[in-house]
Amino acid sequence: MTEQELQTHFKKYRLNRGEYDRICSLLGRPPRGVEWALFSALWSEHCSYKSSRLHLKKFAFKSKRVLQAMGENAGVIDLGQGEKVAFKMESHNHPSFIEPFQGAATGVGGILRDIFTMGARPIALANYLCFGEPSAKRMQTLVEGVVSGISGYGNCVGVPTVTGQTEFHSSYNTNILVNALAVGLFCDGDPVVTSNARGAGNLVVYVGAKTGRDGVHGASMASEAFGAESESKRPTIQIGDPFMEKLLIESCLEVMKRDLVVAIQDMGAAGLTSSSFEMAAKGGVGFRIHLDHVPLRDSSLGPEEILLSESQERMLLVCEPGKLEAIKAVFHRWGLDACSIGEVTTGTDVELYWKGDLICQIDPKLLTDNAPMYDRPYDSWTARNKKQSLQAEPVALDKSLRSVEGTSRQWIYQQYDQRVGGATVRDCEHDVAVVRLPHSGRALGLVLGCRPSIMRLDARLGGYDAAFYPALELAAKGFQALAMTDCLNFGNPEKPEIMSEFVASVDALADAAKLLDAPVISGNVSFYNETLKQNITSTPATGLVGLRDNVDSIPSSHFNQNCERIYLWRFDAIQMVGDQLGRNPHFTGDMNPAQVAQWLGLVLRASHLPNIHATKVVGKFGLGYALYRMCQGELGARVELGEWAPDLAAFGQERMYEVLFSGSQSALKDLTELAHGSETSVWDIGGVTRGELTLGGERKDLSALHGLYRGGWSENFPGLS
Amino acid sequence: MKKTVGILRFLGTNCDRDVWQSVEALGLEAQWLWFEDQFRCEDFTAFIVPGGFSYGDYLRCGALAAKAPVMSSLREAAAKGYPVLGICNGFQILTEAGLLPGALVRNESRKFIDKWVELKIANLAGWATALRSGETLRLPVAHGEGRFYVEDDELKRMHDQGQVWMTYVENINGSVEAIAGVSNRSKNVCGMMPHPERAMFSWMGGEDGRSVLNSLLR
Repeated sequence: MTEQELQTHFKKYRLNRGEYDRICSLLGRPPRGVEWALFSALWSEHCSYKSSRLHLKKFAFKSKRVLQAMGENAGVIDLGQGEKVAFKMESHNHPSFIEPFQGAATGVGGILRDIFTMGARPIALANYLCFGEPSAKRMQTLVEGVVSGISGYGNCVGVPTVTGQTEFHSSYNTNILVNALAVGLFCDGDPVVTSNARGAGNLVVYVGAKTGRDGVHGASMASEAFGAESESKRPTIQIGDPFMEKLLIESCLEVMKRDLVVAIQDMGAAGLTSSSFEMAAKGGVGFRIHLDHVPLRDSSLGPEEILLSESQERMLLVCEPGKLEAIKAVFHRWGLDACSIGEVTTGTDVELYWKGDLICQIDPKLLTDNAPMYDRPYDSWTARNKKQSLQAEPVALDKSLRSVEGTSRQWIYQQYDQRVGGATVRDCEHDVAVVRLPHSGRALGLVLGCRPSIMRLDARLGGYDAAFYPALELAAKGFQALAMTDCLNFGNPEKPEIMSEFVASVDALADAAKLLDAPVISGNVSFYNETLKQNITSTPATGLVGLRDNVDSIPSSHFNQNCERIYLWRFDAIQMVGDQLGRNPHFTGDMNPAQVAQWLGLVLRASHLPNIHATKVVGKFGLGYALYRMCQGELGARVELGEWAPDLAAFGQERMYEVLFSGSQSALKDLTELAHGSETSVWDIGGVTRGELTLGGERKDLSALHGLYRGGWSENFPGLS
Repeated sequence: MKKTVGILRFLGTNCDRDVWQSVEALGLEAQWLWFEDQFRCEDFTAFIVPGGFSYGDYLRCGALAAKAPVMSSLREAAAKGYPVLGICNGFQILTEAGLLPGALVRNESRKFIDKWVELKIANLAGWATALRSGETLRLPVAHGEGRFYVEDDELKRMHDQGQVWMTYVENINGSVEAIAGVSNRSKNVCGMMPHPERAMFSWMGGEDGRSVLNSLLR
């Protein structure tokens, strides 16, 4: 190959000189034919985690609850009483920016497949979305497309979307984030199925949608920054079919439950290539695959396109030859075809055949286990953003309620089926989503985390907060956090400043997970969230799962008893001065993570007190905004000035961390006792009342505030109402 | 002998398990009725066509399910006067099958709507004796195509026969006269867009669905 040809190949297959040299030394010769495409796909950032793998190892720690962690399609934890859950979060940022409806829809489809591939029935969906400013180019279209894509897919497939987090900031103007999370449930001894292929002579079976040209080179597309030509990447976007997915869920769960399969894997990024190579490599076996046996939607597809197609709703499974007919019968009942496209061999190579000719024979471990791993340059984290106190403009409550950051997300949530499955206890309207576990009757709590506003100030603190804030929300509803998943959205890792933020937040997240005893059991990294040299806010999104014994006495999200007292429990882990809408928010002080984790345990105990009826974690826009969010219908609050808020402006000030409780008079004593010796403060700050929200003597009519909060969405998005 | 409720299952039906859970919660026996099979009416006391996205809503909501083999048995059951309830997509299927009047088209907002709504019972359905006319219920809806449409002359006939079963207190989807549920002339076949099976226990946020299903099944 001439130097010029080599350069053309590098460009087409998105490989660099160093990687090419590595391939040559692994093979003992230059790559040829489809090998280029194989290395391109499996060594892409998306599939190989080459820039992040080194750091993700920090998440590993032992916990007796964890049955399956990194390395499989999703993590699995044991809840006891015969119940287990699998969950994972994944990004679909790049496709969603190019084609929002299909991008978001297939993001939901992909994460669901990761869950039911393991044998778990999907029971809940959640999504973490970051959009740009409402006035940014195409933003209304993107918001509308993403929401209807999620709704169109999730509703049809019949899995409730129970929670979400939606952020808006200019740093996402040209690179939105769409992260989808799915939870699946195993019960009654459902098997946890893995992707380890075994047993020479077993068959490799293809099920689901036929293969088309959609998504060819998708994995390597997602591993690159966008330029001005991102529009032209539309043909690499996959198209979703939630009806097909629903049939796959039912049929795959049935063959797994009946013990008809040895191993199963969905065809996600890099399609047939990654699924077959990973299954063979993990099982330490060889595969012989006849590419011309793959069912095609378009008969003109060649072997390279078949290998790389990212057509959706396809699964690859391995079964004993004697069970093929039974498997076919199950799929047929659900209107699907299953066909054998190859077999497991005694060797360790994957052999690819095209119309009888061996076109490639290669050890899959060269592509999976031997993918490059980069220690990208980064700087150790310094507290560069912690400035001295500076008086910033506080946000008045009226303004925060109408702002795009603060307004009601009802327009979004109303488009999601939040109750299909008949197990939803708390829907998207609440800070913590709750699903009832059908067999034990216990409650599973689900909450998303990561506040980009904190990440913009300090990536280390933001990393801690991505675990602590959602864990605090769980604790305030009486849930013990059990484990978490993450979706690490960052810019270009080849830039040291981005890599530094990545390392700082991963280190913090890993430390917080240890302190909370809530291990990171699955996740995804999305780098190259960079368009025309602008990087997004580093956004390590998280999803936490918690458990409590019952669904009956979960503290309300709203005031529910007139004349009750309102208590504030503040732990000044760190003080943030300023606000999100202002230009110069910043921190004072530093955080002691171990102390935060300890305090979370006390909040958990407090939320189980019988004289506590409603709770809320104070977050964006501070105390005033949180108090308003607890007002529902006619019930409001009257809160005085005091040590907790020396002046009116203090009601608009954010802190880390504060929790509001409402309950009977006797609760003050109980809360004070819990707080004793913990360097925290508990105050009785006011009472529940009717028709008004009065803060420090300033009375606001509740119905007027409801109008602002509910009307804010259409003010920001006049086209979407 | 326990009373057995037949629950129809089409490819893509997704509220089937929820309905099963509700029927069992009422102390009754449930049995699946697979779309390709036919059944003997006498083996059952009532039938439910659950919601969901049968056949992915392809072609038109409920249009493909209405042609499935199981429907000829259901037609027979309807003719014999067995109680039949269609919920959401099940309602759409029953209108497509001609067992109920009218049609369900895209919501006025052109968006899917998931929310708790107030409903008013307009007329008594044949079996739903526990629900008095004028009574209000609070149930969740979840649909993209729930806007009830009917021609004026048919609507008049429906009124004359007392076939308007329930209406929305606030017309959420642009339905003709805010109609949320209807019955056939003999009032044994009923369809409703709201989901009673999602309001069976206080932890779901409401229990009004119990009285709907209870009266169907007792």
